[in-house]
Amino acid sequence: MPLLKDPERTETKALHRFADFDGKRMLEIGCGDGRLTWQYAKSAKFVSGIDLEADDLRLATIDRPSDLPVSFARADSIHLPFGKEKFDIAILAWSL
Amino acid sequence: MVHALSEIHRALAPNGILIDLRPLTGGWPIEVASSREVIEAGRVSDLPVGLEDDKAANESMARAESQKWFTREREEYFPFFYYWDSPNEMKKYIDEDWADFVTIDEETWKSIRSLWAVADADARMRVRVKMLISRWKKS
Repeated sequence: MPLLKDPERTETKALHRFADFDGKRMLEIGCGDGRLTWQYAKSAKFVSGIDLEADDLRLATIDRPSDLPVSFARADSIHLPFGKEKFDIAILAWSL
Repeated sequence: MVHALSEIHRALAPNGILIDLRPLTGGWPIEVASSREVIEAGRVSDLPVGLEDDKAANESMARAESQKWFTREREEYFPFFYYWDSPNEMKKYIDEDWADFVTIDEETWKSIRSLWAVADADARMRVRVKMLISRWKKS
């Protein structure tokens, strides 16, 4: 494993330059182990994270702070298990 | 990918925002980095799969734009660094996790090992991954 990924937090900074997450309904596609999710979830109304990798989702669920409004599901982006117009912001996280 | 973008369009509220965040191929620099200096030791070589993935992703976004699902608002590039304690750890990770889309040729490995041999005590290996972030508004 690498010693560190993005210790400079350039990704987090870029993400926050591009969107205001305050009170937003978030969809994250390719959430993996939640590495990116934790960087904005605190200010969101809720986050639904999906990924196809069950092992990563298991880690995300274990690591999830209990006070964050985040849920994870194993799902494919071509069949999103959500209703119409449910989210304000969608993030394709290393997944297009 | 186009199907995924269609699904995202459906799931987003009116005026919703799509953020596309992904690495791009392009011969990422391999660096020996210490608190005193950063020295480029070479670059990874992109393999066809990585190049094709980028092309397919770009074409999908262009298709979504032409279908008037999304309008591009802005985009930026930024570096994302992976750090390892040594060239061997870096090699192990690249061989296991990135083997499908990049490789490092023998000449570059020689350069890495030569630089590492004389590097500062606090030096680490790092790869500077080129990242794209773009913001799209639901049309």
